[in-house]
Formats: sequence, structure tokens, C-alpha cells
Amino acid sequence: MNGSTLDVILFVVLPYVAMALFFLVSIQRYSGRKFTYSSISSQLLENKHHFWGLVPFHYGIIIVLTGHVVAFLFPRELLAFNQVPVRLYILETSALTFGLLAAIGLGSMMLRRTVESKIRAVTTPVDWAVLILLMVQIVAGLGIALFYPWGSSWFATSMTPYLWSLVKLQPDITFVSGLSFWVKLHIVNAFLLIALFPFTRLVHILVVPNPYLWRKPQVVRWYKRGNAISTGTGLRKKGA
Amino acid sequence: MKRGFRRRLPGVLVLLLTCSVHAQDPAEYFKQNCVSCHTIGGGRLTGPDLQNVSERQDAEWLVRFISNPKAMIDSGDPYALELLDQSRGVVMPTPQNITPAFARELVALIQEESAKEESQFRGLQISDAPFTAMDIARGKAVFEGRVKLTNGGPACVSCHNTAGLGGLEGGRLGPDLTLVFERLEGRKGLAAWLLNPATVTMQSVFSEQPLQQDEILPLVAYFEDRSKKSAIAPANTASFRFFLLGLFGVIVALALFDILWKKRLRSVRRTQVLDAANEVLHGR
Repeated sequence: MNGSTLDVILFVVLPYVAMALFFLVSIQRYSGRKFTYSSISSQLLENKHHFWGLVPFHYGIIIVLTGHVVAFLFPRELLAFNQVPVRLYILETSALTFGLLAAIGLGSMMLRRTVESKIRAVTTPVDWAVLILLMVQIVAGLGIALFYPWGSSWFATSMTPYLWSLVKLQPDITFVSGLSFWVKLHIVNAFLLIALFPFTRLVHILVVPNPYLWRKPQVVRWYKRGNAISTGTGLRKKGA
Repeated sequence: MKRGFRRRLPGVLVLLLTCSVHAQDPAEYFKQNCVSCHTIGGGRLTGPDLQNVSERQDAEWLVRFISNPKAMIDSGDPYALELLDQSRGVVMPTPQNITPAFARELVALIQEESAKEESQFRGLQISDAPFTAMDIARGKAVFEGRVKLTNGGPACVSCHNTAGLGGLEGGRLGPDLTLVFERLEGRKGLAAWLLNPATVTMQSVFSEQPLQQDEILPLVAYFEDRSKKSAIAPANTASFRFFLLGLFGVIVALALFDILWKKRLRSVRRTQVLDAANEVLHGR
């Protein structure tokens, strides 16, 4: 398989397959198993370590993702903002800070799921797949931010036209085929996450309103008898 | 729904795979692949001026050379070796997706353009007069993005660095441009490249929003000045400073989280046990 065929598979076929899976399975899961749309909180089982994973990760990832969406929707305005070098440096440093927060938060969440026996017991292989893919995504993103700056500008001129070409069903991979390995890894991994999304607890992102960020503390209880444990797509008996 | 989707999926994939196929127009191809080293009537760049090239060699020789320049040089062809000598040892790369039939179309295009009074591939004409300090300052402003590009292209600093930028320096997605003036062999070569960048990434960005002449000339002045003032490209020290700034932001953010959620629910059972213990110990 030559490079251009591989590029077509990774940057044309994979995105459409990922988006098809995302929409079809999300709708099918919501229509058939509404109550599986949950983050399946484990706060009740352990809440000390939980805070230092959950809060930095969510603030970090939400702000970084918002930045990506802004660059996708308003590339010209972003380039105009970055015209003053100081503004560019402030924007990039802020993005790096939130990216690092996401990495620290996710690392803390992974550690919690490894060392806390109660949390380990309710962690499924799908949860680990999501955590690992997210970690790869964030580490690649941080690598790009540090070693291939300034992403906020070149995203607007290379990534945005590529993504719009996918939206318009006229895929143009020339925007991405010459980019470095780390950028390509970041793109491919993002589409893998989108493809896996509807099969995991990530679906909680689609459940609105989602006042996690400002709500008062609440205790989560499982209201089921027996040894039921949760999975990404439903409940099953332990050991089943 | 599942079965319907499964039936349609192969058709969707075939449709998507065919989207990448596109036809080649010789003039567009020449613009994308040849003008960074050749002009037609604009003088020599890295490669020779191609005006009336068919008078110097017959069409079949040209087709063979364009199809595989290195093979012609390796075969010991005297004219190919002469060209190699004139370009100071730079071997012409084999053009992308070239076929003998398409090479013939290119030769025809060169002949047609040579007959014109002024070919569209004449390139940018730059005088040899020294640039002024104002040219250089404007070039730096264009590079940094302080002067907005007319056609809406991104500032060079988004992806490139040069010596003496200060702050957190320029981007590093593309190569350092401190010595690009020398690498592209002076004003003409550099201007030709800026007019029609030859790399895939640059082409994808600038083909629809090319640099204007009044942006290229100051940039050439700036790069010439950088090249004169710096013997080597600067070492990357900005990444470490950038990382430290990010780390400082993380420490501030974590401290803020702790302060903002000071009254967070730290535990249920632990608090009850501690309260009960206090009650027993202190009779409260």
C-alpha cells in the first residue's frame, strides 16, 4: 500500500466511517437504551482522588475542544486575532495550560482506576480503551503545541479547509498529507475516538443540560440490589 | 436500519475513494511543480530559463529528460551533464505523476508560452539594487503578521521561525527560514518560490490565496537581511520557555480549583466517623 492510498483510508474513509458510526449508533442507543446515556459516576466509591482527576480534566478538555471548534468555524477571525504576536503567544500559552490540565487530570483518573480497588472493580475494557485513546490524543496535542507551533494559526489554514472539505463531501487531503507524523496521529486518533464514542460512557457529553461544572456537590448512589456493575452500554451481573 | 446501512456501506466507500482522483492541466501542473526552479523568459533560477528550449534540444529528448532526469544524467548524456554542471550539481527531481504523454503536453505548453511576448511563467522581476531599511522592516511586519496579507493567507510566523524574532519566536511546523535566501540561491529563486511555493503543504494553503508582489519583495528583503546577519539558524530555546509558561498556568489553575471548591464534599462516611469520634471525645 503506498502513502497516498493510506492517506485516503486514514483521512477520507476513516472520518466518514467514524461519523456514520457516531450518528447511527448514538441515535440507536438513545432510542433503545435511554438510561445507558450516563457518565456512570464512581464518585460514591472514591471522592478524594476523584476531584483532582475530574475537575482539571474537564476544564482542560472542554476549553481546548472549544478552541478547536472556534478555529473550525471562525478561521479568518482567529487569524486576525493572531496578527499581533503578543495575542498569539497569550492564546497559545493558555491553550497549552489547559492541555496540560487535561493531561494531568486524565493521568490522575487513570491512576485512580488502577490503584483504587473499588474503582478497578467497576472499570471495563471499553473504559480503558477510551482512557488510552484520550491520553494518546492529549499527548499528541501537547507534542504538537510544543514542537510544531503555532497551531492556532496553521489549524485555521490547513485543518479547517480539510475538515470543511469532508463536510462538503469533497474530501481534499492535500491539506494534511504533507503534515508531520504527530499531527496525522492527532487527526486519526480523533476520528477513532469519534467512532468509539457511542459505545462508551462518553455519550454523557450528548446529554444536555449538563450542569456538572457548576452544580452543588451531590452523592451518587446505585439503587440496585446485588452485585450489579455498570458497563459502557448497560448493566450486567458481575462475572457474567 | 442496521441491515440497510450494511447494504449501502460498500457503495459509500467506493464513492468516497473516487473523490481523490483529479485530471491534470499542463499549465496548472507547470505552475505547481516547475516555476520554483524555471521561468519561461524570466531568466535562470536553479534550473535554466525554458524559453525556446525546443530549439536547444529536440522534443523527444526533452520528453525523456522530463520523464526521468536522473536516469538521463546517470546514462552520461552530454547535454544532461552540461545542465547538471550549470545548476551547480542540483539534480532535477522527477516530476510527480509524470508520464511520457504528459511530458509531451508540457513541452507543447513551453513552446506555446515561449512564442508569447510575455509568458505567464516569466516570474517576478526583481532589481539588483540594495533594499532599504524600510523594505526590511516591512518584510518583518509581513513575516510576523502585523501587516495582513491581501489575499487572506496566514502570516509566515504561524509555521516558520527566523533569527532575531524575540518573544516566543516563530512557528516550527515548517522549516526555519533564517538561511532560506541562500538555500533558494538569492532574490530571483526566493521570489519565484514565494510566488508559487513548491511543497504540498504550502501549495494547499497559498494556491487559492497567493502572496502579492508588494508582499513578496519586502519578504525577500527581510530574508536577505536575515541571511546576511546570521550565519546559522538559531537553536530552539523557545519551546522550553513556552513549556514553563504553560506549567506556571497549570499551577495557578490547580490552586484556583482548590480555592473555588474549598467547601466541596470531601467525604460522607469519613465526615460522619470523625464527627462521631469528636462527639465521643469531647462530649459534643
